[in-house]
Amino acid sequence: MSSPQTVRDSAKKLVNLLEKYPKDRIPHLVSFKDVQISRFRRVAGLPNLDDAGNSVKEKKPSLDEIKSIINRTSGPLGLNKEMLAKIQNKVLNEKFTEESINEQVRALSTITTNKFRNYYNVGDKLHKPAGNPSYYQRLIDTIEGKKTETMFTAMRTVLFGK
Amino acid sequence: MSITRLTSSQLSVLFRRATFSYPKAYLHQTNVFRQNKEAAQDSPEILAQSSHLNSNPLDVSNKAPVKNAKSKIPLAHSKYESSKYELPKWKEALGELVIRAFRLDMDRVRAGPVAGSYYYKICKDQGLQYEDEPLSETAKYFYEDLKLPRTFSQWFQITVLHEWMLFVRMRAMPFKYGKNYQQKLVDRTFSDIELRLFEEMKVNSGRIADQYLKDFNTQLRGAVFAYDEGFATDDPTLATAVWRNLFGGRKNIDMLHLESVVRYIHSQLYVLSRLSDREFATGKFKFVPPGVKVEKLTAQQEEELKAKTVAKYEALDKDPKTLPSERSKLSYTN
Repeated sequence: MSSPQTVRDSAKKLVNLLEKYPKDRIPHLVSFKDVQISRFRRVAGLPNLDDAGNSVKEKKPSLDEIKSIINRTSGPLGLNKEMLAKIQNKVLNEKFTEESINEQVRALSTITTNKFRNYYNVGDKLHKPAGNPSYYQRLIDTIEGKKTETMFTAMRTVLFGK
Repeated sequence: MSITRLTSSQLSVLFRRATFSYPKAYLHQTNVFRQNKEAAQDSPEILAQSSHLNSNPLDVSNKAPVKNAKSKIPLAHSKYESSKYELPKWKEALGELVIRAFRLDMDRVRAGPVAGSYYYKICKDQGLQYEDEPLSETAKYFYEDLKLPRTFSQWFQITVLHEWMLFVRMRAMPFKYGKNYQQKLVDRTFSDIELRLFEEMKVNSGRIADQYLKDFNTQLRGAVFAYDEGFATDDPTLATAVWRNLFGGRKNIDMLHLESVVRYIHSQLYVLSRLSDREFATGKFKFVPPGVKVEKLTAQQEEELKAKTVAKYEALDKDPKTLPSERSKLSYTN
């Protein structure tokens, strides 16, 4: 990937920001943090790391492999050619300019600094809702495993709704 | 004719009495929120448009456009829900009589299908699009500025996002009413989706439609949980939830789009948090269009706003001419 030095520096900033990003509290199919880190490491010209911290070399397909894929089916791997071309064009060769990548850095840092949460502060009216004051606290406690629901509290929720 | 039918038809009249013309969409608050002239140069929509990345998200939607139904869907086009429908005077009088005689709890009645219908409609309209129709102003924000695919399931995700914002406000109402508002909103969503799957997406098999409905139900639960987690913790978590649900985990996401949606959510929640229970319960809320900047109120403006609301509802409660169907015990001071 040959991108100008300034773009690579900004991409490194993005990677740093993303590395400070909170981990998903519960595992999902995809993790925003991991997906975006690998995306911007590529732009920054850094090698991608596996779980143990070793760098993973991106394997480029050999000529034989490409030939075999092309000859095997008319639409290799069940995808039609149009779609493959789209994937090639649109995902791999993301072009960042200095302007656009700096925007990305700014936008991501706005998110990580909770700018809009603090600006549009809704207060306890919504965070501790009158109808069910402990709703969010219970949710967070359960996700973080601090307090698990007992049979009694679970039945109470089923019967009375809170 | 059952009592509920009478009273709920009566209520649709009540909702209509409040003026819902666009510039005053969110009532007397509008002027307060929009008084700053700079507002025109700064809004979630403009933020999303300002991106220079020019990302081109992969559209794997298999090109399944939403088609306009040939026959109008009965539920969505019921004459009782048309904004022009007037209840005959004798029915109106009978309705009022029934409410007075049986001392019906109007807050409870209002929290029923009427509110479900009203609040569902404003959620549904945000992302509603048809293949052969031009996009509405808010839909342009989602499909053009944020580059989301124009599909049915994407519409559902947009609707869920808006419903969740209403859920957040509904939780802050007295429990027995708030729960009912939420329940009816969800009921209404799924009865409408079921019809639309048959009429618009041309699903012919009931079994397949059921599968879709179950899938949508799972999506709704997952999305509401994820947004709740994001709302209760921090913006990065909220942004992640938006990325997973609204953007479908798009790899080459434009961070500006994410920022724009986070801002959009917080500004809507802010407006919701400034509404009293009484105003929210009687349908005095509309989503702020993404092209409008929500101004934060100063302490003084907030005082004025509160005083105005209190004066309005005190007068309404004292007035002996106020119809029984317009009465409410919900607080207007919070």
